[in-house]
Amino acid sequence: MKKITVLALIAVFFMGSTLLAAATPNVIASGPKEQLQQTVEAILTVLRSDCADESKKNQEISALVRQRFDYQTMSQGVLGRNWLHTGEQERSRFVVLFSQLLEETYLGRIRSYKGQTIIYADAQIRQNRAEVETFIQNDGVNIPVTYRLIPGESGWVVYDVVIENVSLVRNYRSSYNDILRNKGMDSLLDEMTTKLEELKARQEQPLQAPA
Amino acid sequence: MVPDLVLAQYDAPTKSNVTTDVSYQPDAIDDLYNDREIADLYGDLYADDEFEVSDPLVTVNRGIFWVNDKGYFYILKPLARGFRVVPQPVRNGLRNVFYNLRSPLDTVNALLQLKFKQAVTQLSRLVVNSTVGILGFFDVAGNYWDLERKAEDFGETLGFYGVGEGFYVVLPFLGPSTLRDSIALVPDGYADPVYWLADYSTNMACKGLKTINTLSLDNDSYESIVVEQLDPYLFVRDAYIQHRRFNVAE
Repeated sequence: MKKITVLALIAVFFMGSTLLAAATPNVIASGPKEQLQQTVEAILTVLRSDCADESKKNQEISALVRQRFDYQTMSQGVLGRNWLHTGEQERSRFVVLFSQLLEETYLGRIRSYKGQTIIYADAQIRQNRAEVETFIQNDGVNIPVTYRLIPGESGWVVYDVVIENVSLVRNYRSSYNDILRNKGMDSLLDEMTTKLEELKARQEQPLQAPA
Repeated sequence: MVPDLVLAQYDAPTKSNVTTDVSYQPDAIDDLYNDREIADLYGDLYADDEFEVSDPLVTVNRGIFWVNDKGYFYILKPLARGFRVVPQPVRNGLRNVFYNLRSPLDTVNALLQLKFKQAVTQLSRLVVNSTVGILGFFDVAGNYWDLERKAEDFGETLGFYGVGEGFYVVLPFLGPSTLRDSIALVPDGYADPVYWLADYSTNMACKGLKTINTLSLDNDSYESIVVEQLDPYLFVRDAYIQHRRFNVAE
């Protein structure tokens, strides 16, 4: 009997909280999975919308991505040891450039899959890190994309993206460090600036073979 | 439902690990995460031997990479684009046929790596898909029986038994590889049923068709790397090595 009362109480409690959540749709989604899903689906909604104003679309997406991606941590992860030997000013320049580059890259990819459905697995939380596995369903082949998150100021934030078992941050780190070793920080920042201009110029054009 | 564990990270950060560099001054950025914690996030971030790739042939490799790149954009990709006249369901089926043909390779290598359960799964896939799936065209085993495909090859088997990757090589036509994985291509070839069932030119034609079909289904992955990365050669190299090391460790 007692057991039933407890169960009933629990049931009422959960129903109450569900109703509460339903009543306030803008409430921040609870776990890392839900928060990530919210952001990715919001991006896809913007991409799929008929709005003709491309720059407005891009701004909206950019705001969404910025809210969920921890560019600061990612930049630090990409520079690795070199972060310690980089001055304040260069660090912030790097963070700004890298955020924009990564945003373009991520958007380029997600754009080409905007028609596909994405499946989200439950988050695996260990200590203060979470991993959310997602699968992009692309004609019978599931492309695995794993997001790694840490708690940030306003919910969980992504600090690495792993595609086909390749960590994006690690990959950037080894190629950027190679450039740093051979040419130095100034060249790296210059190359990043040039690349960013190129990407922005061809943003709305389909990918083409560079001659 | 944010776990209690989350709160753990707000504990007083310890800066003791980063004081080796005198010029380094912690700033506002490090409020929540000190460098040690960020280093932990990415595993070996500040380790001395951070993710290194041995690439003594870099000059030759870059040359072959350049040739492959041209081959891709001027020969393979146009062919793949043309091949898109074939309806996509047919191309998906063709992809399944080629997957099915490498099931013996997957099975043998799962066995050699003592992954017995996986070997049984791959063998079942071969039997089911070759028969009910009409020569592998339909992935019946994957769609209805939950028998998932898992690629294995002799390179991974060698890695399993402790053979190092050697160094990075770019092979003409075939692309990124390592010394170990290149050598492993020889036994890989013998595990291909087409090698035993058809003559040399049919075998080559099959390989060509496989490549074109795969590319026709691909969503411009390589193009985006070329467009987006500062140095596509380095990006491809490091992605390949990461991918292989993960597969071997798995």
